[in-house]
Amino acid sequence: MNKLFLIIFFLFLIPFQSIQAAKADVDQSELGKWEGQACMDCHSKTSAGLAEQWNESRHAQVGMNCMDCHHAEPEESDAIEHEGFTIATIVSPKDCGRCHVAEEKQNSSSVHANAVSLISKRLPAMANNIGGKAIIAAGCDQCHGSVVKVKGDGSLDTATWPNSGIGRINPDGSKGSCSSCHGRHAFSKAQARDPASCMRCHSGPDSPDRAIFEASKHGMAFFANKHKMNLDGDTWVAGKDYTSGPTCATCHMGAAGKLPANHDVGLRNAWNLNTAVSERQYLVIFEDGDKLEIPESQPVPDRGTEISKIDGSLGKVKTVVPPDRRRKAMSLVCLECHGKNFVNSFMTQFDDVVDLYNEKFGKPAQAIMVELYDKELLTPTPFDEPIEFTYWELWHDEGARARHGAAMASPNHTWWEGMYLVGRNFYSKFLPQVKEVAGDQADTIIKTYVKDNEEHHGWLSQPGKLSPILGYGNGKVNGE
Amino acid sequence: MRLPAFLNWKLIAIFVVGGFAGIAFTLILIEFDHYTSSEEFCTSCHSMELVANPYRESKHYFPTSGVRASCGDCHVSEGVISATIDHVMGTKDLISQIMHPEYDNPIVSLLHTPEAAFEAREWFRETGSATCLRCHVKEAIKGTRADTLAIHQENTEGKSCIDCHINLVHRQVPGKKVFKRDAWNQMVEEEYGLEAGMAEKIHKGEVSPPDVN
Repeated sequence: MNKLFLIIFFLFLIPFQSIQAAKADVDQSELGKWEGQACMDCHSKTSAGLAEQWNESRHAQVGMNCMDCHHAEPEESDAIEHEGFTIATIVSPKDCGRCHVAEEKQNSSSVHANAVSLISKRLPAMANNIGGKAIIAAGCDQCHGSVVKVKGDGSLDTATWPNSGIGRINPDGSKGSCSSCHGRHAFSKAQARDPASCMRCHSGPDSPDRAIFEASKHGMAFFANKHKMNLDGDTWVAGKDYTSGPTCATCHMGAAGKLPANHDVGLRNAWNLNTAVSERQYLVIFEDGDKLEIPESQPVPDRGTEISKIDGSLGKVKTVVPPDRRRKAMSLVCLECHGKNFVNSFMTQFDDVVDLYNEKFGKPAQAIMVELYDKELLTPTPFDEPIEFTYWELWHDEGARARHGAAMASPNHTWWEGMYLVGRNFYSKFLPQVKEVAGDQADTIIKTYVKDNEEHHGWLSQPGKLSPILGYGNGKVNGE
Repeated sequence: MRLPAFLNWKLIAIFVVGGFAGIAFTLILIEFDHYTSSEEFCTSCHSMELVANPYRESKHYFPTSGVRASCGDCHVSEGVISATIDHVMGTKDLISQIMHPEYDNPIVSLLHTPEAAFEAREWFRETGSATCLRCHVKEAIKGTRADTLAIHQENTEGKSCIDCHINLVHRQVPGKKVFKRDAWNQMVEEEYGLEAGMAEKIHKGEVSPPDVN
């Protein structure tokens, strides 16, 4: 049965096999447009740094020049005239995808490419109320991506450009920004494989992966053995081309053993960890290649049915990947270095933390907030009351850190920087604020969702236990 | 004194008077061309005032050297004949203003700015950017960046200034080949809070523009 499953699993991966050969899908004789031969005459002078990076790049070595990527047709919305040539400043995934077909296809349907749509409902409350336009341009959009606007005078609206956000909506309609990880103009493989690429955005409260990776055994192995990581290798298969340790790219998109690489970075994620309550998630793959995450509490669509995609348009379901198959894919990476029992047991420890967070804090806090709004004890305006910040930080900052910490094996972030802060927030800030806001009704609300939850909060009704760390019962321990 | 048969005093008087009149006319023309090249004269038409506003924030208005280029320094050729021709051609804006009272409405002005820019660029191209070269000497362009001199010496063969330097002084307009009227109109609509589609109607003269002066 297990073998049958594995066969089916690999059959599913066949469409992605081509990625393992990271070669560009283009006839080399088509490279090196004549129009681009003169660009470097000036640009080696005007922008020497950029030119030097380019000269050292793989792209330059295979005979490409500036116009292979920056070429534009006059009718394109962001086309500009430059020294007699028609070019576009922005090189979009559509441009890269002319050669890197498979990578573009995988990325354009990924959570990365959809990073704008995914937060569009969150943005009004967060970015507009607390931040402002300047913050959206220089903060949010720099990671999530802007909707690049070309003004009528041909210039790119400074509210939307420069931007290297991973879900950038480009003037040609394509989603994403390859340069987000593959920095222009060197396009260094080593840089993209280095955790430093991911850390630009995956650091800080909502995605604390930088600190977590650094504090994990994996980070320890990587930083101590970086020189053995073969980061420049033409192929980069874990277990074959390198064995010292994993980077972000290794687990989330890299090739490992027989598991092919894939530019859809969310493909192997069984859980959603950046929500108020975590759920295992199904991955719906549409016939046109688009994808959609469906939490397990929602009905899973059948193959062939039509459902709404992230952008609101209708799509026909081609296949649905259940969370356990996604977990299996992730585990295949682990198995390159760890034993099966080790891997499965680690995953159990991780799942248990997520379950604990959900049941003990995530679900009760969410239910209480819903009730406070329902009973009009809070105004519907987001972030105009202290408890709204308290709750937001509980799941978004601290809760995410605890869950990510467990997922990536940083004990410190799982507990001290994570679940400990969740607990401190919940008991010493959130519940007292519920009492302030709800007044007479507070007791009933707290009893319903917290005190009656004997398994997790039963200790609240057991006073009298010794706690020398706090000073209570000092001198009573060990019969002193 | 005996005059040759084909001459008489009357004729001489005509030549002398005519000669002086000619000299006077030329001098007046030079003075006139000079005066009509000034910012003060050009912007006595309100439509030109609109065009001049971005110029007054540009490097050509406030260069570090203090050498200010006036309208005519760039847009009127050297030599009295060419200068006069340029001025005659330039009266089309004056005629437009007389024929269409709304010509100096900022919206109307902005809507036809691209065509004006294309025409001006074409003129610079045809004249080999001659008016730029009145002040700028290619060999002397050192710039503030180390490589500016090298670029102007090594990479400018067959090019004149305008081939690279556009959108220096006036409102930014895309190159003619990539210009998109719809996008330009939309920009004007956003800038002046007009309903979608209004810019096209105003541009075609089907609707009067709102008074935004």
